[in-house]
Amino acid sequence: MYLKKLKDRYAIAGVGYTPQGNVAGRTALSFYVEACANAIKDAGLTKEDIDGLICYRHFEPVGNDTEVTPYLVAQHLGIRPHILSQEANCARGHLLHAMGLMEAGFCNYVLIVYGDNAHSGRRTFIREATHSEPADDNAAFGEFGAVSNYAMAARRAMYLYGSGPETWKEIGVSQRRWANLNPRAMMYDRSLTYEDYLAANWIVEPFRIYDAALISDGGRACIVTSTERARDLRNPPVSIMGIGEYNLSVDIHQSDFMAGPTGTKEAGKIAFEMAGINLDEIDACEIYDCFTHTVEITLQDYGFFGPGEGRDWFKDGRTAPGGEMPVNTSGGLLSEAYFMGLTPLTEGVMQLMGRCGERQLGSATKTKEPEIILCSDNGGVFQTHSTIIVRRP
Amino acid sequence: MAYKKPLPKPNADTRPFWEGCREHQLRFQRCGHCGHVRWPPSVICPACHVSETEWIVASGKGRVYSYAVYHVAFHPAFKDDVPYVTAAVELPEGPRILTNIVGCSPSEVKCDMPVEVVWDDVTDEFSLPKFKPAAHPD
Repeated sequence: MYLKKLKDRYAIAGVGYTPQGNVAGRTALSFYVEACANAIKDAGLTKEDIDGLICYRHFEPVGNDTEVTPYLVAQHLGIRPHILSQEANCARGHLLHAMGLMEAGFCNYVLIVYGDNAHSGRRTFIREATHSEPADDNAAFGEFGAVSNYAMAARRAMYLYGSGPETWKEIGVSQRRWANLNPRAMMYDRSLTYEDYLAANWIVEPFRIYDAALISDGGRACIVTSTERARDLRNPPVSIMGIGEYNLSVDIHQSDFMAGPTGTKEAGKIAFEMAGINLDEIDACEIYDCFTHTVEITLQDYGFFGPGEGRDWFKDGRTAPGGEMPVNTSGGLLSEAYFMGLTPLTEGVMQLMGRCGERQLGSATKTKEPEIILCSDNGGVFQTHSTIIVRRP
Repeated sequence: MAYKKPLPKPNADTRPFWEGCREHQLRFQRCGHCGHVRWPPSVICPACHVSETEWIVASGKGRVYSYAVYHVAFHPAFKDDVPYVTAAVELPEGPRILTNIVGCSPSEVKCDMPVEVVWDDVTDEFSLPKFKPAAHPD
């Protein structure tokens, strides 16, 4: 299989951060640009080296911001890449595109980036709030997007096999404990107990506020290149051992995958086959966690536990600092900050580079020294799933 | 008083459905080749790619596939409605449609609960198909 030839051939060579959380008075574009410049510097490259730029989708601009396009990002970075691209609607193929472009010889150093001023711009990720008029017929029924769409899927999982708040509170609390070790995390200074979780108001039942991802200002970028090239750069390279994407491509209301298996299953199969490993070789997971339930269903579909068994699996801090399977070690989208799939992926990379300070996997957190980390990215409402297995070569 | 909530915005694909709703009919396309009843409306059948189509009228019966309870109004016009229920209702004809469950309290709604259509004539132009617990569950 061709994919197997790509195992470990490409690597992530640098990560770019920006101030994040509540950073008022800045445009979304400024976060893209700063994250990219920092990733270039972090890798030990110059801007002239960058020959590919792939942006995540950008939602409708807030305030008087201009629309973020790859042209604008490139202009502000003063670069002229061979390839510019921007994902349109949450199909999370950025890394696959980057690898394909490099394998075909079009590019050598590809930047992948996302940024937003969502917190200070009061973005809600609900179309109604950023459009004067809702654009979707579902609005006639008071149905407004991601929170209730994911809540509806979670409700079906509760009905079929007993998913629910008892499982999700474990996920939320364990991730918060990771965030409490991460000075960058928006929730660094704030503890979260089971009691806090259960006392919180519903947003869209069965989800409470602690089930939902944060809304953040800031940006995140990384640089992908060949592992061979990465070896000559500043950081220890972190190679892409396995990668897979699968797009179920059906609106969640009509889908037959509300309670799983989601695209995780097929994407994971492709990635694990490429990597030539099994689940028991995974040392930690960085899972796209737009909602607590997304972590449960993703790990369930990978096969860590059977349907509904997450209720016990997550108990006793299994995924928290000191646990046997650390999950979302930065705090994740729930407790660090929301930069789409770059929050989990860059955290996996930084852990394998050994650059995570107090939250570093290994002796600092009484966890296993990480060699291989399983990362995921989702798009739409379980319509796209991407699995990325990274390792220290 | 003027109706303040968002209204459907029929396009070339969805107009026949919304015109049916005005006459209190749930109209769907059935493939003339394989019989698949599709939703949302489309130019060809997603199962077999044949364009030959007939419109059928669904019985108006269904069951709650899943649902969510809004406790926060994401749009000011729904402020007085919370908590309210949005649901995916599965029709015996095949399609699963997004709707509201009305006529019972949110805590009474369950997955797989039998429901039947009830029409909400919100304006002269639009009637919204909502669902209530079935009077005579099969």
